[in-house]
Amino acid sequence: MLDSIRAVWTRFCATFSAERIAREFDEELRAHVAMSMDELRRSGMTDADARREAMRKLGRLDPLRDDHRAARGLPVLDILVEAVRHATRRLARTPMFAAIVTLTLAVGIGANTALFSLVDNLLLRTLPVRSPEQLVEFAVHSIVRGQLNGKPVAGEFNRATFAQVAAQSQGIAGVVGYRYVERPKISIDGVPQAERAIDYASTNFFRELGVPMIVGRYPDESDGDVIVISERWWRSRFGGSLDALGHTITVDDRVYRLIGVAPLRFHGFEIDRSVDAWISPGSTELGMVARLRAGVTQAQAAALLHNILITEVLPPDRGDSLVTIARSMAHGISELRSQYQNALIALMALVLLVLLTTCANVGNLVMLRHIGRRRELTMRATLGASRARLVVHSLVETSMLALAGCVGGLLFAAWALRIVVALLPLSAVPEVLAFHVDTRMLAFVSVISALSVLLFGLVPAWRAADVDLAGTLQSSHAMSAPSRTRRLGRLLVGAQVALSVVLIVGAGLFVQTLRNLSKLQMGYGTERLLQVTLDPRFAGYQEAQMPALARHLLERVGAVPGVRSVSRTSWPLMIGSSTSMGIPLPNLPDRPGMSGMWDAIDVGPQFFETMGIALVRGRIFTNADFISDTVDFQSDRHRSETAAEGAARRRRMGPYIVNESFQTGRYDGGDPMQAGSPIVGIVKDVKLFGVKEDVRPLMFLISRVPRRVGALQVRTVGDPQAVEQGIAEAIRSVNPQLLRTVSTLGEVTGRSIAKERMVASISGFFGVLGLVLATMGVFGIASSAVTQRTKELGIRRALGAGQGVLIRDSLRETVGMIALGLMVGALVAVVAVRVTSRLTTDLLFGITPTDAGTLVVSVGLIVLVGVAACAIPALRAARVDPLICIRED
Amino acid sequence: MPPDKLEILQGTLDLMVLRTLFAMGPLHGYGIARRIEQISGNEIVLNQGTIYVSLVRLENRGWIKSKDGVSENNRRAKFYSITKAGTKQLEVENDQWERLTAMMGRLLTAEG
Repeated sequence: MLDSIRAVWTRFCATFSAERIAREFDEELRAHVAMSMDELRRSGMTDADARREAMRKLGRLDPLRDDHRAARGLPVLDILVEAVRHATRRLARTPMFAAIVTLTLAVGIGANTALFSLVDNLLLRTLPVRSPEQLVEFAVHSIVRGQLNGKPVAGEFNRATFAQVAAQSQGIAGVVGYRYVERPKISIDGVPQAERAIDYASTNFFRELGVPMIVGRYPDESDGDVIVISERWWRSRFGGSLDALGHTITVDDRVYRLIGVAPLRFHGFEIDRSVDAWISPGSTELGMVARLRAGVTQAQAAALLHNILITEVLPPDRGDSLVTIARSMAHGISELRSQYQNALIALMALVLLVLLTTCANVGNLVMLRHIGRRRELTMRATLGASRARLVVHSLVETSMLALAGCVGGLLFAAWALRIVVALLPLSAVPEVLAFHVDTRMLAFVSVISALSVLLFGLVPAWRAADVDLAGTLQSSHAMSAPSRTRRLGRLLVGAQVALSVVLIVGAGLFVQTLRNLSKLQMGYGTERLLQVTLDPRFAGYQEAQMPALARHLLERVGAVPGVRSVSRTSWPLMIGSSTSMGIPLPNLPDRPGMSGMWDAIDVGPQFFETMGIALVRGRIFTNADFISDTVDFQSDRHRSETAAEGAARRRRMGPYIVNESFQTGRYDGGDPMQAGSPIVGIVKDVKLFGVKEDVRPLMFLISRVPRRVGALQVRTVGDPQAVEQGIAEAIRSVNPQLLRTVSTLGEVTGRSIAKERMVASISGFFGVLGLVLATMGVFGIASSAVTQRTKELGIRRALGAGQGVLIRDSLRETVGMIALGLMVGALVAVVAVRVTSRLTTDLLFGITPTDAGTLVVSVGLIVLVGVAACAIPALRAARVDPLICIRED
Repeated sequence: MPPDKLEILQGTLDLMVLRTLFAMGPLHGYGIARRIEQISGNEIVLNQGTIYVSLVRLENRGWIKSKDGVSENNRRAKFYSITKAGTKQLEVENDQWERLTAMMGRLLTAEG
């Protein structure tokens, strides 16, 4: 056993040092001849005779060298090395073929790699903590009309709740708390720092998660205010020095002592937001992540928390409409993931189709090449090359192409990923989306490359060796491939056509979705409408200063030339969030089953005028409303107020304006504005939070004493872009740190359909690519069909056959295969899209998955392309020179 | 080439080389060839070159090893010597060879 391993190893090494070994052997032979001559000379021979006799006794040199090499090296490896040399020579002779195949494969492999990188980073990886699968995060959701409200009522809990959950030691092994700090103001040793992501973290955070400190120590209960920073920040700010410990970092005017550095791989629970520091939470309420004991299910854990909340925290009358949910934290949380999960999976499936198409295309090209090389192959087979050797040669050639495609694919992936990420509405690219070549990715790339070699290389290689020795060498058959080979080629083209149909249909649906979304009516004119987003807290304003700030801002911005009117809201519009709240309205009966939560938005003066929201009935808020002495929906509200006090406060609230959906939904079309009602007006349904949202009951609350000024809406007289600069200056003159962004509502709504735009652009790109590849495939197989029959066609032409008949006969099989591909493809597309649409609803908008229009257009497109691809070969078939039968060969 | 010379049977050359190295100690290719010719009393046809193919086979299996050295007439040459594994293998092959020749002998004499 050892012997044979040793022998194989020696031979293996020998294969790669063939030159040296050949040289050494020649030296050995020279020494042999010299010694032989010495002896012969001693017996009296002349030099020349001695040499001749020595050489005769040694034997013929060339076979000897061959035998020696065969004994030295591994025959298989020798064949491989020879095959690589051979393939390199052959590919170099047909650079066009090599380039097309490499490029096609690079695109197929690269697209898959780029998508895999996203899918892996966003969906597959688990958090780099101890036993991440045991972690769950708790949240309390409300149930409205039997449906779970996506937005949690409570996701953060106080210390008492934490203590009680931690006490449930039979089900829960540990609890940690965390919460992000909104736009913290940071200074180190008194020097202000650039903005960084900072989280509050409970004292036991790192210890419980099993994340070690690379420098310093874990926080302790006795520590007071301390801060743990990320390795990244530690290296960039402190140069990775141990002196960092003991520095103080001030966050939002509180001083924290630096006691530890967290390792690079850990950047918090949110995988698309890299946290740079974790600070002691004080008494802030925190999000709750618990480690479950083995065997405890998420449902059991949720029930556990629910019992605690019902008895301790939640108002008893709400208990039934609230539900506690424990969500797995194994993969962390990600805003991007929740938005893009389905899109990514759909695109991954799509690019796998692209890979199949590219493989079919390359397989087809490889086979056509083999058909073209039949005579050479046959010659080699006749001269004694074994079938295995021919197959190996062919496979080596395709493997080399795949390798080149693989390298090209990685380059393409790096580029494509940047493009994809640029399509996302991100202000900064999170670490997790960056392109890293790691072992997982390389493993993926190798697997799909190997797979594609099998797909496009093996069968053509096998067929390549399937040579008919006598037949092919006879000149009249020299160009014609066995019908089996041609059948395989047609099959590949049929598959390509089918795959392209699926790609095009998918792309068509996504592009149609995007078009539907961009055409959506918002309910107000987005042209000449700007939104300014502000961050008063970051600029240092306290809540009590907000009303004055709001007045000041409205005055300043209103005075900018070109501004028609200005309004304000607490939070920016069109970023997907509204406030849900239920306010029982006095003097108005609820429709049965309609109590509960609905969306509400608090607005400043001139909101409806600025936004251009049309009034249906009643009136909009007037200036008088804003100076009346009734209370705001949010002012003077205390947790401690009794039910009676609450009711009294609510009676003094108002007036309200509602949208049409609110009226029809809540009051059965009855009049919500009857005498004594706080509802004073009804406006058109509008979309204020997102383009795709359904129109839901919405209540406009009047905001007299704002607690926050998060955004201004500005209607301009003319081109809004021309006014942007003036507005920005006006706001900076109030406070230089206040302004975040100025953008037109059109841009903002554009961002809210970024996902659809991404899916549509990517699928559109690959749809076109699939079409191009299919065209190449059809063209290749059609022209090969004509080429192979040139002679036959020439003879028939000479005998007087019409051009139509010739075209029909030469392309009948190709066209039949295209038709079959079309049918299969259309069928697969319909089924695939149906299944997909059953699994997810958020990818398509405004069209049914079996949208007949898209299908017809897609199929039509491919028919068109197929006809175009067949046209040149058909023309050649029709114009075959009858003399060809005499001229050829 | 005289017609009455023996052809070397397939596989027997390796055994001859191994036996020669066992008997003579370290030797270069030419020496091995000459030794086999002398022992056989010029009875066999030997393409001297085939010795080297045999040497490679034996070395690959670890039965002999080689070392550069200088011959008696001051020529640089590769010297081969038998290894421990080679000695063991020689015993095995000797044994097999004896059984084979005995069997062949019986077969060829047992007429009728």
